[in-house]
Amino acid sequence: MTTASSVLLYAVFAVGGAAVYAMAPKGEAPRRGLTTILVLAALGGFIAFLFTQFPVAHAERVCFAVFALIAVGSSARVITHSKPVYSAIYFVLTVVAVAAMLVLSGAEFLAAALVIAYAGAILVTYLFVIMLAQQPGSPVYDRRAREPLLAILTGFMLAALISHRVMVGEGAGNTANSGATGITASASLGNTVGIGAIVMTQYVVALEIAGLLLLMSMVGAIALSRKKVEKEYHESPAAALGLAGREAPPF
Amino acid sequence: MIGLADYLIVGAILFALGVAGFLCRRNLIVIFLSTEVMFQGVILTAVGFARFHRHLEGQAFALFLLVIAAVEAGLALGLVMLLYRRRRTLDAEAWSVMRG
Repeated sequence: MTTASSVLLYAVFAVGGAAVYAMAPKGEAPRRGLTTILVLAALGGFIAFLFTQFPVAHAERVCFAVFALIAVGSSARVITHSKPVYSAIYFVLTVVAVAAMLVLSGAEFLAAALVIAYAGAILVTYLFVIMLAQQPGSPVYDRRAREPLLAILTGFMLAALISHRVMVGEGAGNTANSGATGITASASLGNTVGIGAIVMTQYVVALEIAGLLLLMSMVGAIALSRKKVEKEYHESPAAALGLAGREAPPF
Repeated sequence: MIGLADYLIVGAILFALGVAGFLCRRNLIVIFLSTEVMFQGVILTAVGFARFHRHLEGQAFALFLLVIAAVEAGLALGLVMLLYRRRRTLDAEAWSVMRG
């Protein structure tokens, strides 16, 4: 990786951080013009970076760049949207884009599992909880982020640090087998059969532990949500003043 | 062709966005959604390494990550519902007394 492309990547991180900061809910009217310019600059710089390494527009690479852009853009909306329901819907978009990138890299089984488990099961649970705990209007804790500048600085410094390590590793000649044709070619039986074989032989203990963990989680979730807390709510001073949440309990 | 660096950088960006959201949002549900965004970055990184080394262990690892994400979501949402029923708000600041 050349110096020019790494400088470009850091510039993209800086502009992207500024764009996310402009999008973050800060309790005031959003400046749409500035936000749009920053977002477009960050996206354009990201596309330019993805094509600096291999200037030839390979079809697979174009697809990867498009899905990477969708994933990054929609996850930026997940963390900046002021309505939790929209955050969850944007997260579905992130999951679908990541699953598409997994298909591009020959991990079909994992992509299917990701869409089924995440978009099908986990997200529905999130939406259930969002709608059970929905408050009327737009509460202040959704409209005003807590220290957005510091948080975004932390996040993007972390990304720049990891990317720096990636570039240093690349400089040492780690790109030897990056031209893999896909794992299905080496397994010769298909991705799903390969994963099944490795999980049921080499990682069978880990598989059992994962099953046990799921059981523990189920028991824990039932134990947590069965607790009676109504009394404590009615006794709290905020509830007596009618300050806490809506008047009618949800159940 | 897609190089290893592409997977790692996109994964790092997703993880960093998750960290930023986890630190700055105040809604408990959105905080846990941010951890799911972090999981997406890690899964992408694991699959990128699996492709780079041409074996399936990275994908098996990502499969276990999926299990952990499901466990985390189940427990976290149970906890969020419990906290919501106590204080009638999803604001993380309502529990700032736990900061010690």
